[in-house]
Formats: sequence, C-alpha cells, structure tokens
Amino acid sequence: MGVLELLAAYGGNYLVALLTTWELTLISFVLTMVVALVVTVLRVSPIKPLRLLADGYVQLFRNIAGVSLLIIVYYALPYLGLTLKPFTCVIITVVLIVSAFGSENFMTGINTIGIGQLEAARSLGLSFTQIIHLVVVPQALRSTVLPMTNLLIAVMLTTALASQIPLIPQELTGLVSFINTRSTGGIATFMISALGYVLSALAIGQVGNRLDKKLRILR
Amino acid sequence: MSAEPSIRDYLYEEPGPKTRRAIRIATVVSAVLVAVLLIAMCRQFAVAGQLDPKYWSFFLSLSTWRFLGMGLVGTLEVALTAGVISLVLGALLMFMRLSQYVFLRGIARVITEFFRGVPSLLLIYFFFLVIPQYGIKMPTFWMITAPVALAASAVLAEVFRAGMQAVPQGQREAGLSLGMRPFAVTLKIVFPQALRMVIPSLISQLVVVVKDTTLAYVVSFPDMLQNARVLIANYDALLSTYIVIAAVYVLINYAVNYVARYASRRMGAKIVSASTIDPV
Repeated sequence: MGVLELLAAYGGNYLVALLTTWELTLISFVLTMVVALVVTVLRVSPIKPLRLLADGYVQLFRNIAGVSLLIIVYYALPYLGLTLKPFTCVIITVVLIVSAFGSENFMTGINTIGIGQLEAARSLGLSFTQIIHLVVVPQALRSTVLPMTNLLIAVMLTTALASQIPLIPQELTGLVSFINTRSTGGIATFMISALGYVLSALAIGQVGNRLDKKLRILR
Repeated sequence: MSAEPSIRDYLYEEPGPKTRRAIRIATVVSAVLVAVLLIAMCRQFAVAGQLDPKYWSFFLSLSTWRFLGMGLVGTLEVALTAGVISLVLGALLMFMRLSQYVFLRGIARVITEFFRGVPSLLLIYFFFLVIPQYGIKMPTFWMITAPVALAASAVLAEVFRAGMQAVPQGQREAGLSLGMRPFAVTLKIVFPQALRMVIPSLISQLVVVVKDTTLAYVVSFPDMLQNARVLIANYDALLSTYIVIAAVYVLINYAVNYVARYASRRMGAKIVSASTIDPV
C-alpha cells in the first residue's frame, strides 16, 4: 500500500491515534509529577516507615517490566474485584512506573545542592521552611529540567504499552498492529507512527533545552 | 536508591526533645498505617478467594520452575544477544557521531534520534508485522532481539558519547602532539578511558534491555512471560502467576541495578542513563 492510499484509508485513524498518544502522555505526565513529588517528600522525611515505603515504591516500580505491570492492572485486578477502563489502566501503569524514575530525578536534583549550602543557610539563621523554600527547591528544580524533559519523552514512549490491551481509540503503536493484521500496509504504516513519536519527542526536547538554558545555574 | 550518604540526612538540624517526640509519634502512626494498608491488600486477596492454595501450590513443584527457567533462559539469550549487538552498534554510532565528516555525523544523529524517539514496542511490530510482508522470513528470536538491540544501541551511543566527552581534553592533545592521527587518538587513547568510565552505565542499561525482552510474547518467542501464559492456561491462575513473574523480573533487575551501583562506587564513575543524557 502506498503512503497516499494508506492516508486515504486510515488518515483519520492516525490523527486520532496521535491525539490519543498525546492525551495519554499529558495526563500521565501531570500525575507522574504529582506522585513523584509526594514520593520524594516521603523519601526525605524524617519518618522511618514512610521513608522505607517510598524507597520500596521506587525500587519496585523502576525495576518492574512495563507489560507485566499493565497486564496485572488490566487482566489481574478484576480477580480482586477491581475492574478499570483500559484508558485508566494505561495511565495508572505509566504513572506508577515513570514516577519512580521522576522521584529519582528529584533526589538527584536535591543531591546536587552542596551540604555546605545548607550549613551556610542554617548559620544565617534561616528556618527549615525557609531553607527548603529559598535554597533547596529553586536549585533542585532548575537542575531537573533536562531529566524531566527526558521523563516526558519516556512517558510518551511508555504509553505504547497501551497497544497490549483493547484501548479504544487506539494510540500510535496499537494502530500499526491494527492496520497490519488486517491488510498489508507495508513500511509506510510503521513510518507514519514512528514519525509521530519522533517529531513529538524532538519538539519536547527543543522546549526542554530552551527552558534549561534559561534556568540552569552554571557551576 | 541512593545508598551513599545523601543530602537527605543533612536536611534537618538535630531535632530537639519536642520534635523528637513528634517524630516518634508520627513514626508509630505511619507504621500502623502502612501495616493496615498491607493487611487490607492481603484481605482483598482473601475475600476474592485468590489465596486459595490451588492458585499458589503449583509454584512449590520443581517442574513449574523448570518450565519457567526454560523461559528465563530464552529471556537471557535475547537480553545478552541484544546487549552485545547494541554495544557494538552503539560504539559504531558514537564513532560516527564524533567523526570529522559532516555526512557521517548527520547519519549517526538521525539514526540515534530516531531510535531514541520510537517506543521499542513499535519497532517490535515493525519486525513482526511489516518485514514479513516483504517476503523476508525471520526466526522469532530475531524478531524480538533485533528491535531491542536497535533501541538499546541508540541510547548506548549517547552513553558512550557522554563517556568520551568526560575524558580530559589534555589526553587528546597529548596524543595529537605526539603525531598520532586524530582517529587513532580517538580509538587508542580516548575510547579505552571512556569505556572504563561508562561500564556502570552499560550495566544499568542492561535493565532496560531485560525489560524490553518481556515484549517477546508479542512475537510468540518462548521467553519467561510467554511460558507464564502457558502456566496460566494450565492452572487457571492468572493473578498469582503474573504476580510471581513480575516479582522475578523485579528481582533480576534489582540485582543488575545493584551491580551497576556497586561498579559505579568502585570506579567512581557516575551512572549515565536515558534520563540524564541530553534530550533528542
């Protein structure tokens, strides 16, 4: 099938698929940030059980394989009396996995601040909340711009897992398998979806780089 | 997890008596809450009848594990083959990316960014559904190994590049001033040092490869997840089997990550991963 023929037959599907991928990505990313932030706060809190819980969370979800988690969420949870829509399942899976990496990024960001800075802030008489608010957070956030840009791209790539469950409408990867199991779409079916991902990733990368140049503290 | 002394231990001052009591109370309360959460989860299993021995007892038999072990061998074969291929391809892409010819640099850049920007699952569908349409017959082993290797090699190219850039500039200058050709300097002086520096990152990248191999069931290659599906069909025990399988993968990856962190501490080299290299 030629590109034009393909676009005539499935052009609308590709557009919907691209929008679905973007939608999944955006919702997941926002939730990922929230969860990662909460987990990171727990990880630096002085309360031992919460620290352990959050550390365990990160270890579990950064090491679990994406498909196996999605399969558990979609196919196994109903056995525990919890049936969720495919769309929700994808978002839960992506958020659980990527937030573990997001929390690692935050931790790295916090770790780039020298201990000397905290000591200096303390000797100036700043209170704990002032130290967090004026010293830790501004620096930690600035140095996490690039890793978080990568994280957003990772979120987008992880949403491809959605092709493993009956999600309607399909996202870019699911559509490729849908078209090719019905007709011989050829290399073009793959390239259109691939370009959808790559161009989105390039755009995200551009924005991230610009933001980083503006905000980064040169050390 | 940061096992090294991290800043999180320095965020607070030494707590006074009041704060210490508050922390102690919070610790007890949160411990109880965590326990309640865990118990509630177990209770949900019990209520749904998923703790029934028939769902778990077959994990006590040796043949179950032998069967899963066979799948694990398949998983490891794919992971290691893909790992080796991606090392070679990754190094090749990096050399091209750092070459003095604009043309080679351009090609390497396009290839790297393409494979970094595309999900491995889509690549797998390409090898599984698209390539056979052109009359090329591939064994399922390569349908899963090739895409995993391609995806990994793009990331490794960037990891290698970060390593090359971390080698002090003076090394290159010294080589050049001895009259070595630029490529010889890159290959014989900079690369060996860069390689040493990226070893921990290479190990940690293996985790990504192992995770990608779980997609092998898409092409019906008998890896561990595929064999697990056979078990599920035999024992009608979906939940328990998937939980055990997920746990096995977590343990494998945890072990690999642990080795990577150990190597990183030992060699004093930072781990470079997909999240720390420059976005496309």
